[in-house]
Amino acid sequence: MTREETLARLREITERVRELRDTTDIPALERTMQLVDMYCDIARWELGEITPWTR
Amino acid sequence: MLFKPAVEAARFWNPYTQTLPRAELERLHLRKLQTVIGYAYEHSRMYRALLDRHRVRPEQIRTMDDFVERLPYIDKQEILDAQAVDPPFGDALALPPDFFEQRFATSGSTGAPFHIPLSHRSAALWGESWTYLYWSIGLRPRHSFYFAFNWGIFAAFWSAYMGVRRLGGTVVSGGGLDTTARIKQIEQYRPDVLFATPTYALYFAEAARELGVDLRKTSISYVVVAGEPGGSIPATRQAIEDLWGARCYELYGIAEIGPTNPGCPLQQGVHLCEDWYHALVVDERGVPVPYGEVGEHIVTSYIQDGQPLIKYRTHDLIRWTDEPCGCGTTWLYYPGGVLGRTDHMLIIKGVNVYPSAVEALLHRVGGLTEHYELHAGRDAANDFLTVKVEARSEVAKDDYARLGRQAADVLRSTIGVTIGVDVQAPATLPRYELKAKRFFDHRPAEHRWQLQGRAS
Repeated sequence: MTREETLARLREITERVRELRDTTDIPALERTMQLVDMYCDIARWELGEITPWTR
Repeated sequence: MLFKPAVEAARFWNPYTQTLPRAELERLHLRKLQTVIGYAYEHSRMYRALLDRHRVRPEQIRTMDDFVERLPYIDKQEILDAQAVDPPFGDALALPPDFFEQRFATSGSTGAPFHIPLSHRSAALWGESWTYLYWSIGLRPRHSFYFAFNWGIFAAFWSAYMGVRRLGGTVVSGGGLDTTARIKQIEQYRPDVLFATPTYALYFAEAARELGVDLRKTSISYVVVAGEPGGSIPATRQAIEDLWGARCYELYGIAEIGPTNPGCPLQQGVHLCEDWYHALVVDERGVPVPYGEVGEHIVTSYIQDGQPLIKYRTHDLIRWTDEPCGCGTTWLYYPGGVLGRTDHMLIIKGVNVYPSAVEALLHRVGGLTEHYELHAGRDAANDFLTVKVEARSEVAKDDYARLGRQAADVLRSTIGVTIGVDVQAPATLPRYELKAKRFFDHRPAEHRWQLQGRAS
């Protein structure tokens, strides 16, 4: 998988994770999604895609 | 806010499983048990040998009865023997070392240290067991948590720390400090929550008195205790709450297997963390006792992938119940928390006597402190118990004998047997920062609790 393809997949995962994070009513699940979101962001930074970390 | 307002207002950390009907919880348990048994058989030489020796294979565990009747219990010594094959983890190991995030060990004060390997997943979920407690008592990411302990190799409050990380709260470390320095740090950083053993939470009183600090006026509004009974003993809990002007909650855990039982927010006992643990309670024959009865706590962990523990003997005595709890969870409830150790239970003239019951009653006697020791002995026909307890500093020495008789009367009228009480001067007995040694057993080994019978 190329860097661009990896980044595209990470963006897609981030979008889906945020959807779960925004809609769940279970604290444990919301926290897990926060962390997955954060790790996706870390991975994107590691590939040079620098976006502001807002939450 | 880290959580959405509606989620932050939720009563439970995981409302899905914490309110699941018992029958559904049991169905989930069976699937989890089958999974961990299969994993242990495949990855742990110790478990493969144990199951082969008992002529049982994972696929034969089809029902909960199969689990109860066919699988053997395992005791600490068997794990120690497996670890000794190739220290530190030997045949008990189920993961290559590159998966480990942290290692713990017990002190080994009564034998070889028990080594505990935690993977990243195990560490997160050891922590999560605490998070159920934090959430249920109203703690949220905005709160800060003060750790009055020294971050050693003993698991102690490490898992509580992992739980704060899981919650998203703020950790304030009180490591490497004495009690006086910790009080000053609490005044400086103004944490909301204090972690300590019950004994140590009370011990703060002595240092605070010397400093002229009123602990009720500090920022601490929650004291979370673990490591020894106390949080579910009303008088001990009340003493801690009075000292700190805070609410006191407990978690019951076992060093080898983790924080199994977050305290109930109603403060009268603990719940089994059924997301990550399974429990049985058995009598001396190894037969499960019905709900409502007392027996030895046998625990299976779903989260020890580094060193699986299945039907692990804790040697803790608990009473379990599936009665609905006022807090709203359906998770199993242990009123009064840990009642004692199987090897500390005494039978005095046919009456089972638990050290925690004695502790609870001592607090009813004005003039006595929380510093006490229980000494068990055996005469020709019976166990007997003697209590050494310190008087408060304001009690005159001439009153010690009268106070001792008064305490003995309280014990006799409630427990129904005679227990000698020897009242001592203040600061006579040793002080402890972690687990207090309170029980001294002078009985011959053959008179202590023995788990017998099937698959033991």
